[in-house]
Amino acid sequence: MENAVGATIPDNARIIRNLINGIQYVQDHVIHFYHLHALDWVDVVSALKADPVKTAALAQSISDWHNSSHSYFKDIQTRIKTFVESGQLGPFASGYWGHPAYKLPAEADLMAVAHYLEALDWQKDVIRMQALLGAKNPHPQTWLVGGMAIPVDPNSQNAINAGSIAFMKELSKKALAFVEKVYIPDLLAVASFYKEWATVGGGVGNYLSYGEFQNDNVSNTTNCWLPQGFIRNKNLAKVEPVDQIKVAEDVARAWYKYSGGDQKALHPYEGETNPDYTGPKPPYEFLDTDKKYSWVKGVGYDGLRTEVGPLSRMLVAYGSGHKRIKEVVDMVLQKLGVGPAALFSTLGRTAARGVETLVTAEMLPVWIDDLAAKIKSGDLRIHNNDKWDPSTWPKEAKGYGFHEAPRGALCHWVVIKDGKVANYQCVVPSTWNAGPRDAKGQRGPYESALLDTPVKDPNKPLEILRTIHSFDPCMACAIHVLDANRDEIIKVRVV
Amino acid sequence: MRNKGRPDIAVLGLGNILLKDEGVGVKVAELLKERFAFSPEVEIIDGGTLGLDLLPLIEDRGKVLIIDAVDFGKEPGFIASIEDDDIPSVLSAKMSVHSIGLSDVLFAAKLLGITPGKLCLIGVQPQSLDVGLDLTDCIGDKIERLIDMAINKLKEWNVECASLSPQRLSA
Repeated sequence: MENAVGATIPDNARIIRNLINGIQYVQDHVIHFYHLHALDWVDVVSALKADPVKTAALAQSISDWHNSSHSYFKDIQTRIKTFVESGQLGPFASGYWGHPAYKLPAEADLMAVAHYLEALDWQKDVIRMQALLGAKNPHPQTWLVGGMAIPVDPNSQNAINAGSIAFMKELSKKALAFVEKVYIPDLLAVASFYKEWATVGGGVGNYLSYGEFQNDNVSNTTNCWLPQGFIRNKNLAKVEPVDQIKVAEDVARAWYKYSGGDQKALHPYEGETNPDYTGPKPPYEFLDTDKKYSWVKGVGYDGLRTEVGPLSRMLVAYGSGHKRIKEVVDMVLQKLGVGPAALFSTLGRTAARGVETLVTAEMLPVWIDDLAAKIKSGDLRIHNNDKWDPSTWPKEAKGYGFHEAPRGALCHWVVIKDGKVANYQCVVPSTWNAGPRDAKGQRGPYESALLDTPVKDPNKPLEILRTIHSFDPCMACAIHVLDANRDEIIKVRVV
Repeated sequence: MRNKGRPDIAVLGLGNILLKDEGVGVKVAELLKERFAFSPEVEIIDGGTLGLDLLPLIEDRGKVLIIDAVDFGKEPGFIASIEDDDIPSVLSAKMSVHSIGLSDVLFAAKLLGITPGKLCLIGVQPQSLDVGLDLTDCIGDKIERLIDMAINKLKEWNVECASLSPQRLSA
């Protein structure tokens, strides 16, 4: 909307948006690692066999985090044991425990499970920054066209004031400490046992980032702390500028109908969303991938299937010579003893998320200081209402809004006619990553990444979960398959 | 960073108001807020689709009442009130409508040892989860009953519930 009607925002609104996005990255990535992805690598049941004394020694060897005594790990082990014995396993119930692809020593399993619990506790505190600035996570309620709906006023109890700045500072410290001392050491420790995953799960090799954390106040600026760019065919030496006009959605393999024919891709300004299911009548065993087979539209950049997410952002930053990100990426590669090619993999995707969490957590106090300095200087502007009244808008307008959500590139396109929305299309991260093949048969990121994945036991496709989870698929879009007894069933055909 | 001095009882309306009956819990919470004055130990919360972010809302509470659409595998409009240890088994066997939802949050609370002393779930079987802002007639007709059940539960918990205005016919 800001792009369509030409609204700019005040500094305070920009900084607050950066803070909301920043804390969301940090919390979301930590939750993803520990609660949605770690158990693909960490065997909870094996943790019960660990020696707490050896676990303490392991934890102390990789970090000076305070919770590392053998009695602490003994305690955690007892708690997990009680759960396993009670039979109410919750999300642990669906694990493939004992699968031969689990390779961590029991002590590393126990350490990671302890941190799974600590991360749960940690995240509910740090996300208060988001609650303070955005009201609700993950869908903040304080965004307005032209700024934010949250007052900044050192003399008001109900505004962002000195007290809330101090509170946010405390939260940002807590956020960074956990990332530095727990997440990153765990990531490196776990990854060192799974280095073969640096050669699996590469995917399409094209990477897109719209850029995030703006340094100026115009919508879709290229002046961002995380740079904008497109990488073609893994060529880190050449980061291309991004032009949104090169984005197009196709439905050749998706259950939608385009009025001008399903073979031609459409730019989102001309986009259509007409669901049209032509698949077999359920229950069915498999879908024919030469026909339409997905509820997710396909999307391409410059006609190419393209990956989005933390890996894309870190690669674009790395290729653009971002100083801090280059340092951290090189540190991770060096500690694991692998080269940059290892980034194009399942392990690279998971490591990039950790790198991004660390560098973002480091920026939170910087942005909080920026905000404090603004307030101190007497600048309390939070909203620019020049373009608030629709009578100030042009009769016809088009606009798009770039955003890098934690799980990847997100853009909305709006067409306005006579003060009304004539067309609105969203292309979200999981559309990029999960989309089906295009008219030419080019596979999307998930599909490509799964090619050549070794699967030890087709009935327990743990290896497939590792790669799919490394993309951080959108949970709200997840589809659960339930049989009559309501047990989850998954069938995998290895081809 | 604990929550000392916060209201001891939370009433959480859960769901996605963009998906028809999925939003029933949120609508009931809104109406409770609109129609009643409660004694100060009660906080009525629109929990929306917060997922794991619900944890801080339920920790350090003596009692929590949750209103949500639940897939019981029964006919649309079926209502049940379930308490404490019976809740996870209902949710894990029948699955809550949200994909990362209540069962995960309650499990996480248990792992962290912050489960409220008393927990009650008032669930209703939805008819439609299509995109739309309105409840289906079938579920809209159950709103008054859900409100009555919530008020009765709160009264059982010794909460004062004073009606603010004459009840309206429907939501």
